[in-house]
Amino acid sequence: MSTSTIRRIVAAVAGVALLGSVAACGDNAAIDDPDTVPSSKTEISGNFAGAGASSQQAAVEAWISGFQRVNPQAKISYNPSGSGAGVTTFLTGATAWASSDKPLDHEEVNESKSVCKEGTAFDVPVYATPIAVAFNLNGVSDTGQHLRMDASTIAKIFNGSITQWNDPAIAKQNPDVTLPHLPITIVHRSDKSGTTLNFVEYLKAAAGNDWKYDLSENWPNELGQGAKGTSGVVSTITQANGTIGYADLSQVGELGTVAVKVGDDYVPISAKSASNALVDSKIDESVQGANRVVVAINHNTKAENAYPIVMISYDIACPVYKDENTGRFAQAWLTYITSQPGQIAAQKATGSAPLPSNITDAVEASIEAMN
Amino acid sequence: MSTPRKTAEDDGSIAYAPVIDWDKFKPSRSSLAARKRKDGLMHALIILAFIVALIPLISVLWTTLVKGAQRFNWDFLSHNMTNVIGGQQTASGGYGGILHAIIGTLEITLGAMVISIPIGLLCAVYLVEYSGDGKLAKTIRLLVDVMSGIPSIVAGLFAFSVFTIIGGPGTANGFEGSVALSLLMIPTVVKTSEEMLKIVPNDLREASLALGVTKQRTITKVVLRTSLPGIVSGVILAIARVIGETAPLLLTAGYIVSTNMNLFSGQMTTLPVYVYQEYSKFRAYCPEDAGASCVAAIPMQRAWSAALMLIVIVLILNLIGRIVAKIFSVETKR
Repeated sequence: MSTSTIRRIVAAVAGVALLGSVAACGDNAAIDDPDTVPSSKTEISGNFAGAGASSQQAAVEAWISGFQRVNPQAKISYNPSGSGAGVTTFLTGATAWASSDKPLDHEEVNESKSVCKEGTAFDVPVYATPIAVAFNLNGVSDTGQHLRMDASTIAKIFNGSITQWNDPAIAKQNPDVTLPHLPITIVHRSDKSGTTLNFVEYLKAAAGNDWKYDLSENWPNELGQGAKGTSGVVSTITQANGTIGYADLSQVGELGTVAVKVGDDYVPISAKSASNALVDSKIDESVQGANRVVVAINHNTKAENAYPIVMISYDIACPVYKDENTGRFAQAWLTYITSQPGQIAAQKATGSAPLPSNITDAVEASIEAMN
Repeated sequence: MSTPRKTAEDDGSIAYAPVIDWDKFKPSRSSLAARKRKDGLMHALIILAFIVALIPLISVLWTTLVKGAQRFNWDFLSHNMTNVIGGQQTASGGYGGILHAIIGTLEITLGAMVISIPIGLLCAVYLVEYSGDGKLAKTIRLLVDVMSGIPSIVAGLFAFSVFTIIGGPGTANGFEGSVALSLLMIPTVVKTSEEMLKIVPNDLREASLALGVTKQRTITKVVLRTSLPGIVSGVILAIARVIGETAPLLLTAGYIVSTNMNLFSGQMTTLPVYVYQEYSKFRAYCPEDAGASCVAAIPMQRAWSAALMLIVIVLILNLIGRIVAKIFSVETKR
């Protein structure tokens, strides 16, 4: 090899290295918000990966930002591949934690024995968001008006019994709104989704007579239009007049939302009112497996100003990890995201409902049992 | 026909040349008009086909340019997505950026080039210079053809499984993406280089060998040297083919919001994956008291700007390729 070639190669390598040192940063400065900083100081470093529910993505990004303020050496990646994929990946031992819109089932808990050093995986609620029944109706939603419905009306719309917007069942509950004579077009998720599951759980619990379908993450009937992802549902609703569907509150934007009848009042959707429904919910004691915290949402709550259509998303972790450092990370991570600063960070980033203390107390106990 | 006998009168001068009635060959007026009509019609059809082919191209470019320009600025290019909360402004007054994705795309593509160019080029040299037309050469050609039809997701799954076996479950790094992309690149490199080597005139090889130059030097200094511009454009084509791949990178290189400079460790974001993820986010959350600086539609805008950047990178690579080809092109005397 001639000297000039060697010289050229050295120059090229040096050039790339220089480029690297220039571009090494690029991080945005952390937003100085004392409310979202983890309270405890931990010294975590290393690369950690999580995967799972896409509904949590924005919240996880906010949590990573908050977590790295006290653990700048921790590099955390999150792959929003979906709840099912997240749990499967976790059960191969590839990720430090999984997030999922539904709690583990019995089989998955058993399977986790091979991934965890001791015991079985457990799930804790980390993220709760109200699900909006969103609609687009000219003359109503575009003038900023919202509709009022009870659970049975919502179920009848989504099972196809109510087909017109000016149906007496809707009109009776909304005397102040002029409803057009227009067919209702239902928009639902075409993919497997925790949002669908939580929404139909509500319909089944609150209007069982009008909702005979089995619970499933897939939409149970052939009515209306399917759309992929929350974004697909929202854009389909936005595009056509007379549509109604369900989506996370943070995604509905300017669409009209339905205030749901609870007790004798109609409760409009908000993070606060969703939190109120969780306060009135209990922890499901019937689940098998140690340290698991699964919330049985009280869809029939009568509490004041409580919005009952809430989706709870869980994080799944091992009590003891094969890799000690990963275990320390998982504990610090869960402690932060379920703490008050973590919940505030999620609320600011996504408009989620902070977990009430009756739930976080149980969660804290589970996380403390990790080692 | 018998050979014309020269008579005394016929001395070969023009006066004795056979008289040709050129008018016989003239098209009649009506057939001329028909031909012209046909010609005009075909002209119109061909131009129409050209325009139809251009419509989607221009439409894509124009839409990306218009929608992408909105957030395409220095802040966007020089920051990554750390500490970006919902639709709120970051400390530097931007809304997050794509620095990490640009670095990821460039490094992973470079890695794929380093793997696939030597293999592809050597394979082409073997096929053209050494194999003759043996069975092995035919098999290789067939396999290369089959390989060029592999769906990109299969290449991704291959790299994913290889690295799962080597590095345990969940191994995801930039180099894994490079391996997946190189599977897609190699067939293109082999095919284009083979064509380029074939068109090097045999005279050049023979002249070189006749002067006592060894075969190895003939190949490196004459054959490859002559076909270099063509090989470079082939490589650029191969890069353009893989740089926009999303599916294999989604599986292998992963997705992370911070900058990762190390190709061999940790997940890496690339531009196509970034576009996909931002598109899936659809809308960012803005608290009611956030004011006008909070942009709810920011994920879509970021996706368009990142798509624009991807087009710009391909354009720049093309330009570099052309310049390289021009510098190395052999001056031919005519």
